[in-house]
Amino acid sequence: MGKLKSQPTVSEETAAEISAIFTSDRPWVVIVWDDPINLMTYVTYVFITVFGFTKEKATELMLQVHNEGKAKVAKGAREEMERYVQRLHEYGLWATLAREDQI
Amino acid sequence: MALTEGFHRHGSDAFIANFAETEREVLVNLVQQIIEILAERHDHTNDDPLAALVGITAHDSPPDDEVLLRLLPNAYQDGVDAAEFRRYTESTLRGKKRAHAMSIRVMLLSASDGEVTLDFESAQAWLGGLNDVRLALGVRLKVDQNSHEELELLAPDDPMRAVYAVYTWLGWLQETLVEALMDEDGS
Repeated sequence: MGKLKSQPTVSEETAAEISAIFTSDRPWVVIVWDDPINLMTYVTYVFITVFGFTKEKATELMLQVHNEGKAKVAKGAREEMERYVQRLHEYGLWATLAREDQI
Repeated sequence: MALTEGFHRHGSDAFIANFAETEREVLVNLVQQIIEILAERHDHTNDDPLAALVGITAHDSPPDDEVLLRLLPNAYQDGVDAAEFRRYTESTLRGKKRAHAMSIRVMLLSASDGEVTLDFESAQAWLGGLNDVRLALGVRLKVDQNSHEELELLAPDDPMRAVYAVYTWLGWLQETLVEALMDEDGS
């Protein structure tokens, strides 16, 4: 039998995609919408705290919300995405979830 | 007593602000109003104690009041999914928001010298609670992307001018807390 010389390396993102395919749910996404009240620094901080993003990634997503009106900030199983939306609502962000293929 | 200079970090897990008496009164009053508006949404109609125990509410339609709708928004754009989600989660969200407002109220009322010291956990409650007040005032002021210049130019005798002043002050105060939390050097 052949033997792999080394373990194939799979990036975290790819692993998440693969596991999403094999779960009964299609991937769901969390969308954060621009609103004129929440401050930019606050939105950045909430992204860091809720998702564990680096400051750079959180800032990039915050700017996408600000400039494009919305941004996808997380992707995965429905229940997990619902928990994220609930936490974002606790912080007062305007967030919804949707099936990825329906947005 | 001097007006507050906002929150500053002290060490790894303390965020301190000193408030003047008038500032404390304004803040206590505002969070009290959040507590009251959330209470209006209380489940009068759900008499099933088991449903109440597990947090299922009688509400599956969004609030009519604009402020309540902003505090308790739909989680789905689709109405059916939004109603289902709201039924199972709204009372939890309302409870959290009430707890945030209560935390601010209790800490301010017990700070006889005006000094408030937050740890990471209570800082999260303050951020959420201050933000809820900003959302409520912002909805009432009809804040949108282009309204800041108009609001800056409100006549001195317009009652909304004072509301706008409090709204911008709250934004500044919240920002000092966010910056203190992100200031990892502790400087």
